[in-house]
Amino acid sequence: MQKIMIIEDDKAVREELSLLLENEGYHPIPVTAFHNITQQAAREMPDLILLDLGLPEQDGLSLCADLRRSSDTPIIFVTSHDSTADELAALSMGGDDYITKPYNIPLLLTRIKVVLRRSSPKITADSPEYNGLKLNPAKGTATANGHTAELTRNEIQIVAHLIAHAGEIVSRADLIEALWDNKIYIDDNTLSVNITRLRSKLDELGLPDFIKTRRGLGYQI
Amino acid sequence: MTFHEFISDHLGKIILEILVMTSLSVILLTTGTQSGVIVLLLVILLPIGITVYVIDFIKCRSHLKELENIMSGLDQKYLFIECIPQPRTAYERRLFSLMRASYKSMLGAVSDARSAGREYREYIESWVHEIKSPITAAKLISHSLEAEAGRRLTQELIQIEAHVERALFYARAESPEQDFIIREVSLEEIVSKTIETYRTLLMQSNMRIETENLNHQIYTDIKWACFILGQLLQNAARYKKLSSVELQDSLGESEVCQEIPHASKNDVCVINISAISDARFVVLTVSDNGIGIPPHEMPRVFDRGFTGSNGRSRGGSTGMGLYLCRKLSNVLNIDLQITSVWQEGTQVTLSFPAKANLTKM
Repeated sequence: MQKIMIIEDDKAVREELSLLLENEGYHPIPVTAFHNITQQAAREMPDLILLDLGLPEQDGLSLCADLRRSSDTPIIFVTSHDSTADELAALSMGGDDYITKPYNIPLLLTRIKVVLRRSSPKITADSPEYNGLKLNPAKGTATANGHTAELTRNEIQIVAHLIAHAGEIVSRADLIEALWDNKIYIDDNTLSVNITRLRSKLDELGLPDFIKTRRGLGYQI
Repeated sequence: MTFHEFISDHLGKIILEILVMTSLSVILLTTGTQSGVIVLLLVILLPIGITVYVIDFIKCRSHLKELENIMSGLDQKYLFIECIPQPRTAYERRLFSLMRASYKSMLGAVSDARSAGREYREYIESWVHEIKSPITAAKLISHSLEAEAGRRLTQELIQIEAHVERALFYARAESPEQDFIIREVSLEEIVSKTIETYRTLLMQSNMRIETENLNHQIYTDIKWACFILGQLLQNAARYKKLSSVELQDSLGESEVCQEIPHASKNDVCVINISAISDARFVVLTVSDNGIGIPPHEMPRVFDRGFTGSNGRSRGGSTGMGLYLCRKLSNVLNIDLQITSVWQEGTQVTLSFPAKANLTKM
């Protein structure tokens, strides 16, 4: 389980954030004493640090510099001061990302995921495969039963997201979220059109019931 | 100062002098002085009197001219009293010191007002930063709530956040030491950052966003540009054509249903964001297929607090969004234009400087 250290002086935010990260399958380490953070970080060896810029004892920027001296743990700055000058200062101090409060939660989770993925050397499978369907995002194609079909960017993202959550029910809202994560800003109707086209393409590949509709819930493969 | 004005200022004195001369002549005449002597006397005295007045007039006029020149050359007009030469006569000196005293007190009042304004602004800024923590906490809490309640609470929190953001930028736009940094940024980054920021709102409004040809570098402040673009996206989502289902939702009483254009079932609400560039500008166009703005309201859309018929029918409009957009884009040297076809959609163009224009900043 990946450890995320939360350095945040607002009690409510800290506790709720811990809860959220725990629910998302991370191991949160909320910091409650702010005078020896560097030692705490050295002891706990977190995989990621969420660092608030306005702290009581030492301000976040100089703390970041201290942390950087001893470790390469990725740091995401979280702050309510959103001026460009602050952001530049934070990133030049060695922060990996910068999020302003009040962040929206899916965005925060995405950023955490991205930074963790960037820092961990593990290579995720770039050609997902499921039930005889092989996806090639680089070429924009899907192969099954010896046939290949060309998919659009939207369709590839839909299939990739479904494969990544194989077996689970993925709601339409989740799919739209996933597409927006990839800068495809579609609406509900467009998703329906995409799914219909995708199904007919999979049909031609000999996978007629690849995507199942769970009425009122979403899709499942 | 015209000669006429000068004469009218001195009219009393002149009449008195004429009266004195006349009565003198009459007295001299009755006491037996020869009329020739009196004529001689008048011929000598009259030119002297006229010359004195003419010289006086010229001096007066040139003095005024000098003062007017000083005034027109001043950047800060209120510093006038500090810049004029010391007056010569005692009477003028007294007037001068009175003006000076008034100036000093005005200066005090101005600096008080300034520092009060600055303190208020600083308070707003720090308040905005303070309020963000509880909003964040509330968002995190609403995320863990049961789905429907959580979704509705998140919606309200997003509204709060948008209002807070506008307050912050209102304070920033007013402040003389505006904290922005002009640097090279990619338009794509601005657009995707802004969409991320308002993503929940846009997704819940079921908007589709098309982005094209955003591969340009521009010179601007990313925070301010994101705020401006964010206002436009919020407007597009707020003033979209409602589907018949949403119409019933939003207008429970449904008094005005017929008047408001609404989308048929398969119409999609689209925001198109695209850019073109020439040598000097990168022009970003944000267009939507929403309800548009009635032509007679177009001239006022940038006015502070103007909400218009759309704002009234949809509710929750503050009339600050476009006002702030115009204000901030003026500061950033962005040309902001809006066109709209009533019931068809609205199109806003932002022309960003494509080269670092350091001399102008």
